[in-house]
Amino acid sequence: MAATPVSDHLLDALVASLTRRTATSQVVDDADAGRATARWMADAGVARAVLPRDPVIARIDLGAALRREGIEVIDWPTSLGRREVLGLEGPEAVCGVTVPALAVAERGTLVLEASPGHGRGLDVTSRHHVAILPAERIVETLAEALARTFATGGPVPSAVSLVSGPSRSSDIEKISTLGAHGAVSEHVVIVR
Amino acid sequence: MSTRRQRSAGGVAYPDIKGTLHERTVQALGDQTLRTNLETAASSWAAGQEVMRRDHGMDEMRARAREIRRRNIRDLPALLGEMQANVRKAGGQVVRAADGAEACRYITGLAQARGVTVVAKSKSMATEEIRLNEALEASGIEVVETDLGEWILQLAHQRPSHIIAPAVHLNRGQVAEIFRREAGTDDVPDDREGLVAHARVRLRETFAQAGMGISGVNIGVASTGTVCIVENEGNARLVTSQPRIHVAVMGMERVVADWDDAAHILQILPMAAISQDAANYVNLITGPRREGESDGPEEFHLVIVDGGRGALRGTEFEEVLSCIRCGACLYSCPMWRSVGGQAYGSPYSGPIGAIITPLLEGPSSPASRDLPFMSSLCGACGDACPVGIPLPDLLVRARARASSPATRKSAVAFRAWSLLLRRGLTYRVGVVGWRLFVRVRGTDGWVTRLPGGGAGWTRVRDMPARWPPRR
Amino acid sequence: MRVLLMRTCLSDAVGPSVWKSTRRVLQRAGVQVRVPRGQTCCAQPAWTAGHPARAREVARHALTVFAGPDEVVVPSGSCAGMVVHGYPDLFRGEPEEEAALDLARRTVEFTQFLARHDLDPGTVAAGTVTIHDSCHMLRVLDEAAAPRQALARAGCEVREMEHTDRCCGFGGVFSLAFPELSASLGEEKARDAVESGAREVVSCDLGCLMHITGVAHRQGIPLRARHIAEVLDR
Repeated sequence: MAATPVSDHLLDALVASLTRRTATSQVVDDADAGRATARWMADAGVARAVLPRDPVIARIDLGAALRREGIEVIDWPTSLGRREVLGLEGPEAVCGVTVPALAVAERGTLVLEASPGHGRGLDVTSRHHVAILPAERIVETLAEALARTFATGGPVPSAVSLVSGPSRSSDIEKISTLGAHGAVSEHVVIVR
Repeated sequence: MSTRRQRSAGGVAYPDIKGTLHERTVQALGDQTLRTNLETAASSWAAGQEVMRRDHGMDEMRARAREIRRRNIRDLPALLGEMQANVRKAGGQVVRAADGAEACRYITGLAQARGVTVVAKSKSMATEEIRLNEALEASGIEVVETDLGEWILQLAHQRPSHIIAPAVHLNRGQVAEIFRREAGTDDVPDDREGLVAHARVRLRETFAQAGMGISGVNIGVASTGTVCIVENEGNARLVTSQPRIHVAVMGMERVVADWDDAAHILQILPMAAISQDAANYVNLITGPRREGESDGPEEFHLVIVDGGRGALRGTEFEEVLSCIRCGACLYSCPMWRSVGGQAYGSPYSGPIGAIITPLLEGPSSPASRDLPFMSSLCGACGDACPVGIPLPDLLVRARARASSPATRKSAVAFRAWSLLLRRGLTYRVGVVGWRLFVRVRGTDGWVTRLPGGGAGWTRVRDMPARWPPRR
Repeated sequence: MRVLLMRTCLSDAVGPSVWKSTRRVLQRAGVQVRVPRGQTCCAQPAWTAGHPARAREVARHALTVFAGPDEVVVPSGSCAGMVVHGYPDLFRGEPEEEAALDLARRTVEFTQFLARHDLDPGTVAAGTVTIHDSCHMLRVLDEAAAPRQALARAGCEVREMEHTDRCCGFGGVFSLAFPELSASLGEEKARDAVESGAREVVSCDLGCLMHITGVAHRQGIPLRARHIAEVLDR
């Protein structure tokens, strides 16, 4: 991954947008990313983390950092049954980890692509969602993110999810309530 | 007789609605809880629209959204062909259904062939329109709505009152009551958080069991064969990722050319629908899971429903096909705000429902021919529409197309009206006659009872016998 | 400056004082007003009831009565809206299409006319009023400022009511087809008007006022209603 200079403007805009979407975020250096993420999860009471197979996860050595905090690590793809993936069995405090392909600064949207190493549903099946986002993947607008993802001329991913904050429903009295079907909390670790 | 029965069985409006449209409005007006719930919803939406206009430049985005959708509809046959080819290239299957019955037949047949016993559904107006749940249940397949609002309605055996917020006519106390009945226990909390958590747990079981997931489609992107499903709760993602088969049901007009178009529509849709600049989840799905992927459905089926839409191209109603089903015209409509969507007696309510239901049903359908008249033509819907559909003008055109005993009676009355009013002299005679009549009829400056066509006026209000009126 | 006055059928039938006040106010502002003989109705009722052919028959008569180069002033946002917005649609592809477009261009609502030509009728109408924006004024003619400007110029204090952009529920033929729904909205409007604290509700449309006061009178809501021309004619 070629290191490109990170625009402070994009980074600040993303952090502000995430806050607006009731997601939390932190900006960390590459060397500190694994430890900081594990610390955040431990503070949130996470018992089990499901990690995608992704070079970013390997680079920050997240698995080791989580184990040091006493958090169980499950690597995706997993042999867990569907009921356990859905949280009907096993611990409740599960955290799905994702590595977004892109993030949209102006609206706090994460672009998650399905691939052999990344499941389609990790961020919604789990109680918590933590995204590890390399800072150089931040773009300004949704149009830009969609063009980069889909207007490449090549094959497009089988499933892309645009995630903008934790799950919510306004179906009862039009008042937004968190944690409808997907994650109750979303935390974005922006890695510089 | 038999043709009429056939038509109403295949139509869009609900076959089992009770009473006339007018009777249903009177009944709804008497339900104070309903009116409070609707007013709360409409006011909160309206306040949000102010924010969208002020902070997110929503008004500036409308013109382009309109241009995109007009162009999409003009190019519809080509776009559908491209969409179909690209879905197939990605390993999905595509079915073009001429009507709802054909779509239902395909989906139930597929479920039976694959041995599916439980279907998990995410919110879809198209499936409500084609009455897919009834068809699946008639084949012995259990269907569970997983959108919170839709699930509430399914448990309560009610119909959606809004395109986006189906259970908006209920308050949390009413929801808690419904959940208690379903769970068979009083151990259901009363607060919103508790109710949402309760539904989450109950519906996870469905996701664990379902052999088929059925979703709607907000837009289809022809250039890549991708379906876009917009939601806030996360249930549509579960529906499209957990079961072995995913069936997406799309109204044929919901296709856009490319990702340029899609980006704009995906931005303006949540603004208009929920007064947010982004929905929480947008699921962009291109075919089934690929080789090496460890989750996602093994089969992907796209069912494209015509249901009378194709015939609207090239007519004076073509612009209704631009609709992106955001529900903004419902919230903005004083009629919808007063009686709610259920009084309309069709899945599509509000101004857009009053126009498209009779178009899809036929002009003399008893279930929908009165709908275009349930509007004061105040124009709020036209201003609210994010894709610039001239809804008030279309309501007027829909009235001209309606055919019922009432319209035939009014045709006779307006024939007389025209004979009287197309000449100055006869007009003067009519005016003088009317003023004399009102003078004679009035007491204390007010007329409290008018005969014939005027009875509708004095049933609920008085008529000033002189102007300025007496207090 | 010379104009043609469209009296409107509602003013003829219900409140002739409305068009007479309009004429006086215009004359006071130095405008030469001609009230064409033989005029009837703009044909909106038939148009919105779904009988465009009947509407055309009556509207054709209006095209003849209001022929000529002069501006046509209408003391009704709804009737003006019908001519400005409805006629081009009603006569699309008809032999009278040009004449309809011409009349649409020349037609203007009364307070818009005052604003357009910066006319001052010199009214002294102290008092406090609230305004009901009729839907056709607000959304067909896109006009909220002109009536307020006219009232301010006349020294009236305008107390805005809640929900100024909401429909009063009149809607012409709608008010007869769905009376309960229509009256329910009328009652909301009457209550909003009373709660503004103003002593009377003023509007550019007699139809809305007839409906709002009719509901208010039936419900015992104390509300006075005046057409804006009547207020400016003091």
